[in-house]
Amino acid sequence: MSIEIQSIAKQFGSFTALDKVNLKVETGELLALLGPSGCGKTTLLRIIAGLETPDSGQILFHGEDATDTHVRERQVGFVFQHYALFRHMTVFENVAFGLRVRPKHTRPNNTEIKRRVHELLNLVQLDWLADRYPAQLSGGQRQRIALARALAVEPKVLLLDEPFGALDTKVRKELRRWLKRLHEEVHVTSVFVTHDQEEALEVADRVVVMNKGRIEQVGTPEQVYDTPATPFVYQFLGDVNLFHSRVHGGFAQVGEHPVAGDGAVAYVRPHDIELLREPAPQTLAAKIDHVRAIGSIVRLELSLENGDPVEAELSRDAYAGQRYASGERVYIRPRSARVFAEDYAI
Amino acid sequence: MRFKQPSVLPGFNLAFGYTIVYLSLLVLIPLSALVIKTTSLSLAEFWQVVSSERVVAAYQLTFGASLIAAVINLFAGLLVAWVLVRYSFPGKRIVDALVDLPFALPTAVAGIALTTLYAPNGLIGEQLAKLGIQVAFKPLGVVVALTFIGLPFVVRTVQPVLQDLEAELEEAAACLGANRWQTFCKIIFPAALPALLTGFTLAFARAIGEYGSVIFIAGNIPLESEIVPLLIIGKLEQYDYAGATAIATVMLLISFVLILAINLIQWWHARRHGMRK
Repeated sequence: MSIEIQSIAKQFGSFTALDKVNLKVETGELLALLGPSGCGKTTLLRIIAGLETPDSGQILFHGEDATDTHVRERQVGFVFQHYALFRHMTVFENVAFGLRVRPKHTRPNNTEIKRRVHELLNLVQLDWLADRYPAQLSGGQRQRIALARALAVEPKVLLLDEPFGALDTKVRKELRRWLKRLHEEVHVTSVFVTHDQEEALEVADRVVVMNKGRIEQVGTPEQVYDTPATPFVYQFLGDVNLFHSRVHGGFAQVGEHPVAGDGAVAYVRPHDIELLREPAPQTLAAKIDHVRAIGSIVRLELSLENGDPVEAELSRDAYAGQRYASGERVYIRPRSARVFAEDYAI
Repeated sequence: MRFKQPSVLPGFNLAFGYTIVYLSLLVLIPLSALVIKTTSLSLAEFWQVVSSERVVAAYQLTFGASLIAAVINLFAGLLVAWVLVRYSFPGKRIVDALVDLPFALPTAVAGIALTTLYAPNGLIGEQLAKLGIQVAFKPLGVVVALTFIGLPFVVRTVQPVLQDLEAELEEAAACLGANRWQTFCKIIFPAALPALLTGFTLAFARAIGEYGSVIFIAGNIPLESEIVPLLIIGKLEQYDYAGATAIATVMLLISFVLILAINLIQWWHARRHGMRK
């Protein structure tokens, strides 16, 4: 089922959580709402769920206005950051809850409930925990149970609020891949909120980058990473170096982008910076301050002649061929850069 | 299992020793004195005292009325706590403070006030008398007094639990299609149940021992509205110390068994839900 968000606005006192947001979620896709805390992503998710009412605007579910539909009737599955499992119920009863509270005439009988719950527990690969209580499970297991519980009511939309936010890095990674596989299996329209760019880029079909109650960019993970629409997106998705053209006139042209006058800023990713030992046209002199090998990459911290810091990243192989040392003087050249007008910057 | 679990917290020996000494001085020694004094009676005499018609009737009234009062407080207390936690209204702080009043008020004052209200010529008693209900000087009066003094126990134990109940649980239930009533019965009530049981136990225990507020409203008619503590005082005034302690010992025993039973239920409940290992 598709979701259409039409100029949704929401104020909390004097704080604008959402500023006339428009968005369309396609049927069956896995969409990530990405942004720093306080950007309005959770509020938007809660408005879609019906847990929060917008001040103005409309929500359409499959073309039908659902703005005033109660949470109960929206048929959404919601997964909370802190699981919100019912502590006094077993895992089985937690998952069965949505089926047991149905009105009598639509409620499945006990054998049917049993079959469905075990089917879902198998889907999340935790059938063996059916008789345990939530307190006896690990964080990752709890979140998978929470997901099974949300899926039990056969929701038309699955909404996940920072689903992996409370878990440690290793479990997060596992669950990310697992969520992606699960989505391929059940294929329900899903929206998940995250502040972790890696998570959004890895899991989602499309990423919505939000900032200060507005949408900055919507696109596939490749689109938002490779061609950021705004300086904010550039900075939020990964590390970036800023070159002020006013300071080093002409430098921004190196990236083969026309410069929009004097007040322009070039954005260059650390892995797009090329290091040369000999001076060449259109390069800048720099001094290497630190060299750090981090896993598969080597990160170099440099400073320009005017003192501005620059970060560069090399692969292990590239570094092994050159063996740069700290204190050495080098010349840097960006392979690609993106230029934004100065006043547009953050 | 070892007696002392290894722990980073220092002072186990000191704290444990203090606890034992404190409990001994305040609880164990006086209570053993009670039992020892009782043994000055022969078994037959003891049995004669505690099985006399008047004493048995008093036991029935005290425990029966305490139980009824605690059950009433269980529901009324939950309701009051719910209102205080979930709604905001003008004067909420005052209502909140009013709940503690039965704690602070001298029980005799409470007893006289309740008697004045519920006596057949009192403000409420008059209206009830028209319906043929007499409260004061009847067992019903005892229940009213015990309900009054027990209310804060339930409210004050349940209130923090309701306060801490995550809103997400109710939101999750709503997303899963549960209506408000189902959410209350299946999510909120079970979450508050351990605290409710604690409050119930406290209210019940307090009611069993209550003296001051009851004697005024009860009328103290033997075999009808006479409570055990009053019987004990009566025996003491007649210098029948052994008889008084005999009645008290039986009361102590029944109270202990009842409270232990409730604690076991709580322990079993917590264990069943995996909250304790």
